Amino acid sequence: MYLEVQGLKKRFGNKNIVDDLSFSLDKGKLMCILGSSGCGKTTTLNMIGGFLKADGGRILLDGQDITDISPEERPVTTVFQAYALFPHMSVMQNVVYGLKFKKVPKQEAEERGRRYLEMVGMAEYADRPIQSLSGGQQQRVALARALITEPKLCLLDEPFSNLDAGLREKLRFELKRLQKELGMTMLFVTHDQEEAMILSDKMAVMEKGIFVQCDTPWNIYHNPASDFVRDFLKLDRLIFQEDGTMLKRITE
Amino acid sequence: MNKVVKEHNSLNMNNGRKASKDTFLPVFSRTVDGTLRVVVLALILLFILFPMVCIALRSFAGPEGPTLGNYAEVFTKYRQNFVNSIVVGVATAILCTFFSVCTALFIYTKTGKLRLALMAVLLVSMVAPPFVSSLAYIQLYGRRGWITYRLLGLSLNPYNALGVICMQSISFAPMNALFLIGILSKTDSASLRAARDLGADPAHVLRDMLIPLIRPGIYVSLLLSFVRSLADFGTPVIIGGRFSTIASEIYLKIIGYADLEDASAMNMFLLLPSIGFFFLYRHLMTKTGGTADAQRGGQEGFDLKLLRCGGTGIAVSGAALLFFVMMILQYGCIFVSGFLKRKAGSYVFTTEFLQELFRYDLSTMVRSVVYALIVGFVGTFFAILFSYYTEWRKMRGRSFFDCLVTLPYMLPGTCFGIGYILAFNKEPLALMGTGIIVIANMIFKQLPTSTKLCTAALSQIPRAQEYAVRDLGGGRLSVLKDVILPGLRPAFFSSFSYNFSTAMTTAGAVIFLINPGKKLAVFKLFDAVSSGEYAIASLISTLIIIIVLVVEGIIYMFSMKGVKTNVS
Repeated sequence: MYLEVQGLKKRFGNKNIVDDLSFSLDKGKLMCILGSSGCGKTTTLNMIGGFLKADGGRILLDGQDITDISPEERPVTTVFQAYALFPHMSVMQNVVYGLKFKKVPKQEAEERGRRYLEMVGMAEYADRPIQSLSGGQQQRVALARALITEPKLCLLDEPFSNLDAGLREKLRFELKRLQKELGMTMLFVTHDQEEAMILSDKMAVMEKGIFVQCDTPWNIYHNPASDFVRDFLKLDRLIFQEDGTMLKRITE
Repeated sequence: MNKVVKEHNSLNMNNGRKASKDTFLPVFSRTVDGTLRVVVLALILLFILFPMVCIALRSFAGPEGPTLGNYAEVFTKYRQNFVNSIVVGVATAILCTFFSVCTALFIYTKTGKLRLALMAVLLVSMVAPPFVSSLAYIQLYGRRGWITYRLLGLSLNPYNALGVICMQSISFAPMNALFLIGILSKTDSASLRAARDLGADPAHVLRDMLIPLIRPGIYVSLLLSFVRSLADFGTPVIIGGRFSTIASEIYLKIIGYADLEDASAMNMFLLLPSIGFFFLYRHLMTKTGGTADAQRGGQEGFDLKLLRCGGTGIAVSGAALLFFVMMILQYGCIFVSGFLKRKAGSYVFTTEFLQELFRYDLSTMVRSVVYALIVGFVGTFFAILFSYYTEWRKMRGRSFFDCLVTLPYMLPGTCFGIGYILAFNKEPLALMGTGIIVIANMIFKQLPTSTKLCTAALSQIPRAQEYAVRDLGGGRLSVLKDVILPGLRPAFFSSFSYNFSTAMTTAGAVIFLINPGKKLAVFKLFDAVSSGEYAIASLISTLIIIIVLVVEGIIYMFSMKGVKTNVS
């Protein structure tokens, strides 16, 4: 297994936020963790990203134990919900920032930056200041910034939740395409059922610190583990295509 | 009936398309509203613009009409003072900003109890009266200083330019540090995490993120320290020895010789650069992300191991620690030396000075508190009214008045004081010697900060709430009562507490206006320090600090009570 999480635990006070969580993910796949707010999904992500120290358990990535490695040394990058771009740098400076620590020469970094900006459709904005971009554009830049360092794992923390519905849908497909093209392994946290269904190769429904079900969207659709899963996903309103990808949601 | 007709008329005048907002007001409250607005604006013109104009006019006044002679004369006569002022100003600005930046970064990267303790030290220094650093400096490093003489056996002469620079830097640093912490805590900590995520070690987070993010704040700190240094007469008078600056010379000219021409002309040399700096300051403030509010700052930190940040990190920590040691020594020295008496080469505990202080005259302390309370209430009320008209009602000419109201922030205290002498010394505005002029001076000198607090609070109130009240049938008064005043509640407390503590400790402008028979505690302190009665001076400082802390504590409790019941 490429990513393996074993018995991950986190307590705040006397409350188990993440409770003995184990799962694994193959290389080049995208997994969504779906849950309502407060279920522990962001905490899980923060432990994998290295921003939060786990109280127990191990995280293995590509055969390496990364549990105690600091965020800057982990081969993992994050796309944050609020973009978290550096306000005092231009688009290009933001994108190539991570390459500085990989000792990539300046000129090569610029070239790579241009390539990744092209990938996310932002090449013409390279020299713009960050403040001049719209939310969708900022998130594209943030995505390029996270991917350019060629991490082994990319974490996405509800990256599209600040965007409007139309844009969200558009970016979803762009992300899926990019992920496949680059063969990137991604862990995507969201509270949007439709988003999870569309993006996932594998998805987990999380509640109260544990995964109540973890499988492919197709299998979850056909065999929801409990009434909770069925209700939470509003499964009776989804229509699937023959190949197992979701077609659409019936809206009233 | 009359009202209906009027409304009808004004509707017609606007082609019925867009009624002027005021037509919804009853005639009575419209009159009150209009009068109030005129009064507010008139007072601002009278107490801010008019005194400035008076200085300018007076400085051109010669025996035979307008002349530039005063300038030429002043410039040749006091050239050395100009040079001194500029040298001290630049050195202070740099040293002070260095300490402020290090302290701010140090506090921002600490968490938990240590952070609270460090913030407390900064906050005490915000409420401490001026001159305390100079007082402690003489006690600790003077000819018979505890550290230089008793500990190290040196007998140094502390009365020189270097002392002035050090003392100014130390006393201005806490305010700048709080300001910078305010900016830092507004930075998005997610972007700092993002930087680490992308491979930046702590040293790079410091160099690539934190320092560039506060760069506009650093410039503001440089400017403010420079201007405050230019305006500070107390420090050079106390520890400058024979070294004098423009500000201390102005002080001597007024207090010693009542020479208003020279003082005004010297003041113009302070006034003009200050106004220039003021516009630079406003420009820079827009880059710091609007209103960085020192009082709210410091709630959220970012855990960063400064000692792992290489040379920069170690330098920052070292400077910050040095600063805190000096602050703690300073306050320790102040608190202790009021109760110590030298007896046969050693010190013994005594309450002798305390008794002397009480025998002395506590009426100045009472007067200080009364004035400060009046300034607190009236100043805050005025600030609320002003920000209501400018920020909420968006009245015409608001940018002009906004600019005018912010001006005193960058204005040297000497200018503001002498302007008042010139403006209010003859009928019909003969206010000199009264308490009113002192109170007015404090209110308007402090107006920039109190309006900023109120404006910031007002801009947080959603416009839609006003529309909701109007929609549900409430008039403008209901809006004021049910939306605006409740929204301003926290700003009221912070503005009151700012006004009170500043009024208790301010010295700059007011010293020129005070009637010798009606002194304030700060000037008693100034006299005591200048005449070498250090024990009494220490006690007065301690008393002022305690009074301000107690009052702030009471206000804080009140405001907390409000938070509990008002939480939505």
